[in-house]
Amino acid sequence: MTTPAGSLIPSFADSLTRPSAASLPTRAWGLISAVNLRTKILGMVLALVLILGSGVTLQVRATLSRTLMAQLQEESVSLGRDLAARSTDPLLINDLYNILQLLRETQMNNPDVRYAFILDHNGRVVAHTFSGGFPADLVSANAVAADTHHHTTSIRTEEGVVWDTAVPIFDGKAGTARIGLSEARMRATVAAITTRLLLTTALVSLVGILAAIFLTWLLTRPVRQLVEATEAVRRGDFSPRVRRWADDELGELADAFNTMTADLARADAERQEREQMRAFYLRQIITAQEEERKRIARELHDETGQALASVMVGLRNVEEASSAAEVHTRLADLRGVASATLENVRRLALELRPSVLDDLGLVAALRRYATEYTARFKIPVAVQIIGLDDWRLASEIETALYRIVQEALTNVAKYARATHVSVLLERRDGQINAIIEDNGCGFDAEGVLRSGAAENRLGLYGMRERAELIGGTLAVESQTGCGTTVYVRVPVGE
Amino acid sequence: MRRLVVLLVVILCLPLLVSCAAPTAADGVPTIRLNDLRPLPATPPAAVAPLRVAVAAVISPRGNVDSYTPLLTYLGQKLNRPVEMVQRRTYAEVNDLLADGQVDVAFVCTSAYVAGKQDFGMQLLAAPQVNGDTVYYSNLIVPANSPAGSMADLKGKAFAFTDPISFSGRVYPTSLVRDLDAKPEAFFSRTFFTYSHDNAIRAVADGLTDGAAVDSLVYDFAVERDPGLVAKVKVIHRSPPFGIPPVVVGPDVRPQLRAELHGLLLDLPATPEGPAILAALGFDRFVSIEDAAYDSVRQLTDGDTAAR
Repeated sequence: MTTPAGSLIPSFADSLTRPSAASLPTRAWGLISAVNLRTKILGMVLALVLILGSGVTLQVRATLSRTLMAQLQEESVSLGRDLAARSTDPLLINDLYNILQLLRETQMNNPDVRYAFILDHNGRVVAHTFSGGFPADLVSANAVAADTHHHTTSIRTEEGVVWDTAVPIFDGKAGTARIGLSEARMRATVAAITTRLLLTTALVSLVGILAAIFLTWLLTRPVRQLVEATEAVRRGDFSPRVRRWADDELGELADAFNTMTADLARADAERQEREQMRAFYLRQIITAQEEERKRIARELHDETGQALASVMVGLRNVEEASSAAEVHTRLADLRGVASATLENVRRLALELRPSVLDDLGLVAALRRYATEYTARFKIPVAVQIIGLDDWRLASEIETALYRIVQEALTNVAKYARATHVSVLLERRDGQINAIIEDNGCGFDAEGVLRSGAAENRLGLYGMRERAELIGGTLAVESQTGCGTTVYVRVPVGE
Repeated sequence: MRRLVVLLVVILCLPLLVSCAAPTAADGVPTIRLNDLRPLPATPPAAVAPLRVAVAAVISPRGNVDSYTPLLTYLGQKLNRPVEMVQRRTYAEVNDLLADGQVDVAFVCTSAYVAGKQDFGMQLLAAPQVNGDTVYYSNLIVPANSPAGSMADLKGKAFAFTDPISFSGRVYPTSLVRDLDAKPEAFFSRTFFTYSHDNAIRAVADGLTDGAAVDSLVYDFAVERDPGLVAKVKVIHRSPPFGIPPVVVGPDVRPQLRAELHGLLLDLPATPEGPAILAALGFDRFVSIEDAAYDSVRQLTDGDTAAR
């Protein structure tokens, strides 16, 4: 901080007037925002009270001084005129004792009167209220022309200002009356009232501080709670609820906060549930994968292995064949076994991943699957395709829809004891609707989806997960004895 | 933080600054030390001894100043020396001043002259002439609405005297009471002194007293000046004529001065200023007068003195 050259202003004023890079409002705001709420409110209340108190005190003091000063001057004039009128006759008949009595009475009855004296027409003091002498130069301090009403002037004395009024007695023919009224009592009154006002200001300041502390407590209590609750929410604890202390903005904030934490808690619960479901499904996928491998292994072992073993036995038989005709017959058998094995392997491959889905699309793949399904499980499947004949969808959508239909049909074959299944695939309004309906025994769809047994029937969840993965929805409608319908809806765009 | 402290200090100091903002006193006026008391300067002896003229309080001091100032100013010019007017509350005080030589000339009351002549040789200088005569009367006055028609009707009432030795204001009305075979102290319910005739008239006009006796010259002069008095005051009795209040000089006044003053007074009507001076006094002129003019007064005054 550098003091401007030649400046004698103390550092305090300097700190206020010091030029700064930041603008004054910015600095003021910096100052205000740096303190906490309590100090702000306290400062506000104190500043208001003190400024108001000072303003009122200044105003009252000024007005009072003015009024009392005017009164003092008026009193000086009126007392002077009274004195002049009452001293006329005694002065004319040279009744000095009476004049002195008059002067003393005037001084005694008016505490503001510092002195009074009478001059004769030659300007000589004939009577005065001083005892043991007379102040030098007092006579010449004020004068009045014989033809004027009065003349008042202020005289500086060692006791303060005295308002001196000179009044001609009997138009100046008898002399002059002089009276001096001291400002001391007036000043004392002003000082007393100023002190009282300042005391009042101090008292009000004290009350203001208490009120500010209470107000701060009132204001910061909900804020503090909100801060604590927010901290809890940040840690992941959604249980705290803030109390609504008052029906004001803070109350609204508390309400909004409570609503928000409730929403957050609900969302968190949903998220956790989904998370659990996903984890569970992941395990299921891994399990399913193992199951699939087990099945393939079993099929390879049971069917392809058996077939190849038969081929080995047949080949040995061919080796041991005694005649060409027998070789011929045995080779024909072997071919039959090889052909059946080849068919099995092809079916296995097809089930794992139908290449027709990639090559010819969803519709062709479904139709083929339906044909094979009917051939395998002896359940007729009616496939109806609407608005999708030459339409190729994104491959993940085609795969998902294919698997969902496949899973649904597998479920029908496994559990439904149905005699007929229909599959409807329809493209309408930018979305694909797939409906798989059977006339089987049905089941309690809601119950299954809710129950713990869901894990056992996870096919349903798998189907739903697949649908949701591609942005679609899946619903199952079923009642015991009334068949089952699976609705799938997937947006695909125009 | 330091700035915050500074700001707080400023706010807290604000009320204190208020106390400092005192109303400004008159500047540039020399300071007078009221407690530095010094003896008053002694009155310097006059280079020329002034002619001191006493005026009896026939009318109030203020009225005397108005009436006599032109005459005294004139005398001062003619005598070429300052003239000082002296007034006292009572006639007795003026007589004392004359006896001591503190006053050279005096306008006195008739009975004061009688007493002064007897006591210390007061000398007649001249007498005013009013309405062509050198006599005056004592007027018994009551409020205009009073039913009283004579002194007898004022029994048990309040009565105002002018001065203890005033002839028209006390001696004559007292003689009227004595003629009724009563004493004033018992006759009236209350008596008091007004010390001048115009104050007595005012006391009656204002209803302060039920009656008073006043100098007819003063009464006529007052009525002339303030005609409204007629509506408030009425005269119910007029005394026989008595010698008019004279102008006198003290026993020690030099004969030359006495002669000079006599000439000046008597010559007034012939001077340019004279008529205005006489008009202010309400006199026609000044004339010489003999002591015998006051014999009738002396009789009543002696009776009064004997009664007291």
